[in-house]
Amino acid sequence: MTAVAAYADATVGFIKRDVTGFLSYRLRFVSQILGTFFSVTLFYYISRLITVGTFKSPDAYFAFVVVGIAIMSTLVTSLSALPARVRQELVAGTFERVVLSPFGPVAGITAAVLFPMLLALLEATLTIGFAAAVFGMPIRATAVLAIPTAFLTSLSFVPFALLASASVIVAKQVQTGIGFVVTGISLISGVFFPVSLLPSWIRWTENVQPFTPALNLLRHLIAGAPMDGTAAGALLKLVAFIGIFAPLGWFALRWAIRTSQRRGTIIEY
Amino acid sequence: MIGAGTSAAATADQVRTVAPDVPVLRVEAVTKKWRGRDLATLRAVDLVLHDGRIAALAGENGAGKTTLLRILAGLITADSGRVSVDGVSPDTDASGYQRRVSFVPAGQTGLYARLTVDFHLDFCARLMYVPRESRRRVIEAAAERFDLHELRAQRVDRLSMGQRQRVRLALGFLPAPRLILLDEPANSLDTRGNELLAHAIEAHAAGGGSLIWCAPTVDNLPFELDELYSLRAGRLIDR
Repeated sequence: MTAVAAYADATVGFIKRDVTGFLSYRLRFVSQILGTFFSVTLFYYISRLITVGTFKSPDAYFAFVVVGIAIMSTLVTSLSALPARVRQELVAGTFERVVLSPFGPVAGITAAVLFPMLLALLEATLTIGFAAAVFGMPIRATAVLAIPTAFLTSLSFVPFALLASASVIVAKQVQTGIGFVVTGISLISGVFFPVSLLPSWIRWTENVQPFTPALNLLRHLIAGAPMDGTAAGALLKLVAFIGIFAPLGWFALRWAIRTSQRRGTIIEY
Repeated sequence: MIGAGTSAAATADQVRTVAPDVPVLRVEAVTKKWRGRDLATLRAVDLVLHDGRIAALAGENGAGKTTLLRILAGLITADSGRVSVDGVSPDTDASGYQRRVSFVPAGQTGLYARLTVDFHLDFCARLMYVPRESRRRVIEAAAERFDLHELRAQRVDRLSMGQRQRVRLALGFLPAPRLILLDEPANSLDTRGNELLAHAIEAHAAGGGSLIWCAPTVDNLPFELDELYSLRAGRLIDR
């Protein structure tokens, strides 16, 4: 068997593991998606109160915030689901099996990001579909391009998930910090309101994380929202984030595993 | 049990690609000192284990048996010294090393509570790079080796402790590695479980693989030992 086939088989094993585990909790997906639908419904009625110059109409704000909510789940998945999974594996002792395999812990953790990422994309699609079907949110034909763009967006968050997982392996506990980071990013990146409303001294933050360009691009593709720059420019930013931070994420993960193996703390939790 | 040993031997032969005079396991001057402790847990431990040899490692609680096993498994690294299996070191070829070694740790951990026995066998086979064409056969052999057929569709959190231990052991023997490390493997096993384990160990050794059985005491084992060691004050003593 070639190395590629062996890697592919092991990766499929991780996806099967995560899908089976997820589906074993029968109401999990339903409750998860209902929670998002409730948020969309809430913001629909809040949008009816919005009559400011930033948005032409309540519907414009509703479309703005729906895309924000949909993509927010991708961020939450990237930054908290994977590290939480790693910690869960440490506690259950199953991480040891991954470490003691030819596939190895770095590949194992990277493979474990796939299912949550696909699930987040499905949830995002259903959220936007719900907003369109129930509240009549207009969707442009270019929305089809939003799917690969959202996938790219997810990929741009993976390095941060790997960094957070590395922290779990070394420090064993980073969930509080991740919650803080997720809330902070949702505040500065324009999930619920445009970044232009923020004080000027903090607006630089839109250029140092992939969330804002991803949101701008997805809003443009799905709802036809105007963009500051071009779509190609936003795409380039996302690719650049992946190119710069992915090697850093993998390097940090390798370092964390080797350090904890040297210290003998790799299976501690 | 028929088929289990055959499968083990075939896979072990596939992995063994070194000169016959290279031992399965070679441990040279391995030392490990835990932070916050005055004395080293392991002090210049040397050990050589050849094809088909079954060794036991005894010693009081806290003597360092599990630490040594974890180092041999490639789970943690020694402060100094070298470990190799078939001449392959975990420091230079972690993936190659892990293809040759299997470790069943003490306790009941390492299983996905809500997933079935069958899932565990398949997942482990994939993780251990068992080729697609032989995966089904290897899984069948592992299930047969530890009499898991009737349990295969059950979730592991619905199994008894002894049944779970048989699943853990089946996973340890599944890839038919060159070296198997068992830390207190008889825990929770009934008479039948112990018999199955003894047969699996004998078949593994007959196929050319080596094995280390680790427990505080190693009296009345249901198979013949080739070598017996104990750890005292960080030193490995050949008994």
